[in-house]
Amino acid sequence: MLNLFFDTYYVASRELKKYFRQKARIVVSFIQPLVWLVLMGNTMSRLTSTGNGSQLFGTSNYLSFMTPGIILMTVMMTSIFSGISIVWDRRIGFLDKLLAAPIKRGAIPFGKMLASAVQGLIQASIIIVIALLLGVRFQTGILGVLLIFLIGAMIAFVFGGISLALASKITTMENLQAIINMLTMPLIFSSSAMFPIQAMPHWLQIIARLNPLTYAVNIMRNLVISGWQTNIIYNILILLVIDFIVMLLVNRVFEKAVSE
Amino acid sequence: MFEKAIVVKHLKKIYNSNKVEAVKDVSFDVDQGEIFGFLGPNGAGKSTTIKTLIGLLNPTQGEIFINGLDALKNRNEVRMMIGYSSQALSVDDKLTAYENIYLQGEFYHLNKLEIEKRSKEILTMFELWEKRNDLVESFSGGMMKRLDLAEALIHQPKILFLDEPTLGLDIQTRHTIWEYIRQLRSEYQMTIFLTTHYLEEADELCDRVAIIDHGQILVIDKPSVLKSQIGGDIITMVFQNSQPEIQSFLKKLEGLKQIKNINSLPNGVYQITVKTKGDELIPQLFHQAEKNKINIESVRLKRPTLDDVYLFYTGETIRDTEGSAEGTRGQRMNMAKLRR
Repeated sequence: MLNLFFDTYYVASRELKKYFRQKARIVVSFIQPLVWLVLMGNTMSRLTSTGNGSQLFGTSNYLSFMTPGIILMTVMMTSIFSGISIVWDRRIGFLDKLLAAPIKRGAIPFGKMLASAVQGLIQASIIIVIALLLGVRFQTGILGVLLIFLIGAMIAFVFGGISLALASKITTMENLQAIINMLTMPLIFSSSAMFPIQAMPHWLQIIARLNPLTYAVNIMRNLVISGWQTNIIYNILILLVIDFIVMLLVNRVFEKAVSE
Repeated sequence: MFEKAIVVKHLKKIYNSNKVEAVKDVSFDVDQGEIFGFLGPNGAGKSTTIKTLIGLLNPTQGEIFINGLDALKNRNEVRMMIGYSSQALSVDDKLTAYENIYLQGEFYHLNKLEIEKRSKEILTMFELWEKRNDLVESFSGGMMKRLDLAEALIHQPKILFLDEPTLGLDIQTRHTIWEYIRQLRSEYQMTIFLTTHYLEEADELCDRVAIIDHGQILVIDKPSVLKSQIGGDIITMVFQNSQPEIQSFLKKLEGLKQIKNINSLPNGVYQITVKTKGDELIPQLFHQAEKNKINIESVRLKRPTLDDVYLFYTGETIRDTEGSAEGTRGQRMNMAKLRR
């Protein structure tokens, strides 16, 4: 168990060393959320300016509504590509080298998931700074902001895991990329990241309830807009369960994929 | 240690994914401190065998013992005893050389001090210590290969498994790598198992060679024995004397017990097939010629190469077989890296 913990850390440290070295990539990954917040925030702000609208969105400030959605979208879009690194490692032979070493098998995907969680945390924090500069206020204060970081990391962990499970099976870069691209848009629009769940048709509401993003958005929106509420705990628990299930799934799929 | 370094009994591997029987029934053993080579064309089952030995693949049947330990039951103990360098340049080119080797030390659960001490020792040996803080992407193919070999040694393995150690390297780098391999054996008493499809590599490096094709071992022996089995050395000579003088001289030569037969080739060239050692016969030939007042214009000794042995056993030259699309892509990328 202790070994699994250390091995996971070693694998994660490799990914993070490389992540921090790619300065350009880090900068670029914040341009998109910035564009979303500034452009969407301005053009869509009328949605919440009417009485009906502000009731539906829960706030009269559209940016406050959008910030959690943008954080999660950014985190998800990055983490869901973390499977690519396994395809790459397989291609350059690094995966064989890892597997020849006496490390726990599960540590390989877990390490990459952990790295993607740390990246999620960093992204969440930078978007929060941008949102603060744009005038968004967080009802739950510093503690709420810290919790938002954590939720960002948990979501990155989930989608990193799903991506790695896919990459264990799909060994060509092109196919994996196509499948991931196909997944991202439906995942975003079938969650409450962009629109309140109450505004969705019934069938979409059902799908939204199966989407991990919905739970994360709900927590974050409470933290930003409405303050501390008991359903935050309920949503966090669900997210924890999802994280755990994804870990079990990845472990199994990866283990099977590498034991020929 | 008296146990054999590697003992393999009736190894068989059928891939689950495509039902290909890559290794049919392979048995062999390797002594401590031996350099043992697996020689065969692409797709012969070399990489499958090596991957099964180091635990990347599970055999369908058969037994593997590494230093006397049942490798299938003691995977982690065996992993600590062996080092592996694959035919790909499996180094992370976005990290520095030192970061690469340090990470490898962590994967083998060495402590910080051990890693620092060992990395310095090995990187110095492979002449990479000065470059340790450079990103690997700035390295040449030969340097990457050296780093890859260095990494395989971080945990002081007893047995080193090298899959095509000089694939795609230029001839100079190849010789350097051979030197390192010999050094590892002489300085650290390491046992080395390598696969290759370069005949001269097997000839140059290996104490014993197994020729493998279609998943089966065709023959195992010392390169010199293999070569002498398929026929002796050949000496070709040209003389300056008249035809009758030469003929009577050759008659006398045929009486020598080392000589198998003498053929007359066009342009006055005579081909002498020798039973055993041609180099030891040449002085005798000169001696006889002098006694019979025969002037030798030229003499040439040709020994059978491992090429001839290989052809004899596999019935064909090194061939290429088709691989998986992803495998081919990986190889192409590897080649691109090496040509830098």
